[in-house]
Amino acid sequence: MKVLVLNCGSSSVKAQLIETDLDLMEKDEERTLAKISVERIGMSASIVRYNPTGKEPFQDTLEILEHRKAIDIILKLLADKERGVIESVSEIDACGHRMVHGGEKFTASTLITPEVLQEIHECSELAPLHNPHNLRGYRAAREYMKDIPHAAVFDTAFHMSMEPRAFLYGLPYVFYKEKRIRRYGFHGTSHRYVSGRLARLTGRPREEMKIVTCHLGNGASMAAVDRGRSVDTTMGFTPLEGLLMGTRCGDMDPAVILYIMGKEELTLAEANTLMNKHSGLYGISGVSHDMRELHKAAAGGNERARIALEVFAYRIKKYTGAYAAAMGGLDALIFTGGIGENDPQVRAMALEGLEFLGIRLDQGLNEKTSGGREGRVSAEDSPVQVWVIPTNEELVIARDTVKLVRGTTP
Amino acid sequence: MKENTAGIVGFGTMGRGLARTLAGAGIEALVMDRSPEKALEALKLLEANLDQEIARWGITQSEKKAILSRIKIVERIEELSDVPFVFEAVADERELKRGVFWGLDQVCPPETILITSTSTLSVSDLAGATRRPDKVIGMHFQNPVHKMKLVEVVRGLKTSDATLKKVMNLAETLGKTGIEVYESPGYVTTRIILPLINEAICVVFEGVASAEDVDRSMVLGFGFDVGPLTLADRMGLDEVRRWNRHLYNETGDHKFLPCALLRKKIRENKLGVKTGEGFFKYDKMGRKIQGGGK
Repeated sequence: MKVLVLNCGSSSVKAQLIETDLDLMEKDEERTLAKISVERIGMSASIVRYNPTGKEPFQDTLEILEHRKAIDIILKLLADKERGVIESVSEIDACGHRMVHGGEKFTASTLITPEVLQEIHECSELAPLHNPHNLRGYRAAREYMKDIPHAAVFDTAFHMSMEPRAFLYGLPYVFYKEKRIRRYGFHGTSHRYVSGRLARLTGRPREEMKIVTCHLGNGASMAAVDRGRSVDTTMGFTPLEGLLMGTRCGDMDPAVILYIMGKEELTLAEANTLMNKHSGLYGISGVSHDMRELHKAAAGGNERARIALEVFAYRIKKYTGAYAAAMGGLDALIFTGGIGENDPQVRAMALEGLEFLGIRLDQGLNEKTSGGREGRVSAEDSPVQVWVIPTNEELVIARDTVKLVRGTTP
Repeated sequence: MKENTAGIVGFGTMGRGLARTLAGAGIEALVMDRSPEKALEALKLLEANLDQEIARWGITQSEKKAILSRIKIVERIEELSDVPFVFEAVADERELKRGVFWGLDQVCPPETILITSTSTLSVSDLAGATRRPDKVIGMHFQNPVHKMKLVEVVRGLKTSDATLKKVMNLAETLGKTGIEVYESPGYVTTRIILPLINEAICVVFEGVASAEDVDRSMVLGFGFDVGPLTLADRMGLDEVRRWNRHLYNETGDHKFLPCALLRKKIRENKLGVKTGEGFFKYDKMGRKIQGGGK
């Protein structure tokens, strides 16, 4: 089956056309036919990047004012006589959509029906920056591909297996009951993919392992995956909680923001931007949110850049210990995401001193595993295996879509 | 018709506020001022305002870039002929504004809605300069436009329900709550806040309480976010007096006669935040200096 995977943000649409099916999944023979991204939607100079497998990549600047137009362009490129990878749009068998928030309703991926659509819409209140755009993308795609099944894959779904002890905040219960305020967690598709992939790589069933997964990108989160189920994760009601991130502060005493708002007479919007966009690695270092630049600055003697890196790594270490305790043991730890996949130094810093937990890195393997490479980076005799596994959320979305269409459980 | 685009005539404080708010909401703003040179000067001011927002953690560098990329200066009114909404934000002078409306009416297609930012003139009178009085309406924002959530949507005599609805939707896109008001001096906001400010000034003038304590009384006693004297400092004391005069002239009501202390402050050029001192003292960033009140 050819599945179009769509990920629609406020001003961008990312798409991949993936060929997969139940037997291809088994044999690991799935293929990405093309990757396309449209950025800066709504402006006069939107950027289209098209990367068809086995053909010349192509880039263009166009006026694309809305998501509908972006999807129109994506479909035209895929079926283009010269540049395309399919003869016509009718070759697309199904469409999978990334949805950020599925609330408590959606514990797994689902085919989109009018009822499901309404329920996703109701979750928009919980993710006002994401869900409305995801839905806009879906509606536009449906217009062009009316007769094929569409599926929704949620960032939150994987974490819906958490118990109340992990997802409840210490607030009056009424806020959970009436306003659905709780830990939801994000990056679920990625945590799920890498933990499943590890089982495949080690030949050991996921149901037998206690795994800590670290998705470290510009947004970063960790999850405790106990025998295939997420039992805890660092992101919370919003993606602001937990690890230090590129520009997000992560964990802190909530009274801090009240204090700053009072002292600086900040509005809600300003406080929100302060925590989400001016903080994190960038806020502490004052240099950049980009790891490569931080390393450069730290190596050049920039003290704040060095401290920012330490805070980042320390929190990963802290949660590793916490999650080992939560699961009552640890069999493996996985790094993924832009930083997790490409930054041996951060990996080493985060795991330094964790030998007592059974974690021993192989310096050589760690150093050479980057740039999209997959592999074990722990020492041969390390009781806990440490792996670097490049994430592939699009593939999960395509697989779930196929399984739903074929009538099996994703 | 270029969807997701709006025109603005006039690039003063209100024009800049509008351009920043539209661009911040993802709408492209085509701005015209008296001359391209003036417009460029205004754009520099707008950039400086955005830098201040960054300093107050309100936006990031990349958001500033995105906002500026959505603001385009145009030189001829014909370049505004292809947009669904045009805002008029020139000085509050009747002939000048009527001239702008007449010009826009000539070049814009009949479905374009023309919006005035006037706070003193009659929307119906301005609509009279056009052949589309049903598509002329007022939007009275509070300053700073990008921050304040309210907009008074002002109906003229002939403004249609369809126009009102479209403009209410536009307000929502801009992240504002629109309230429908019929034209009347000072609408709702100005008419209510001026007597409050004036009375607060009188209390200080009579030596009943200090400026700080007057503000404290309203903030702590009635749950206001800011006190009336801080608010007056932010509005500009000369603006407050101009408003009082206007409402007094329009209504003849003595409650709009400005207190003598207000006039004295203006004579001393203590106009509020913009001159660094009014009822309180302010630093360059416009933040109140603690203990700077009397």
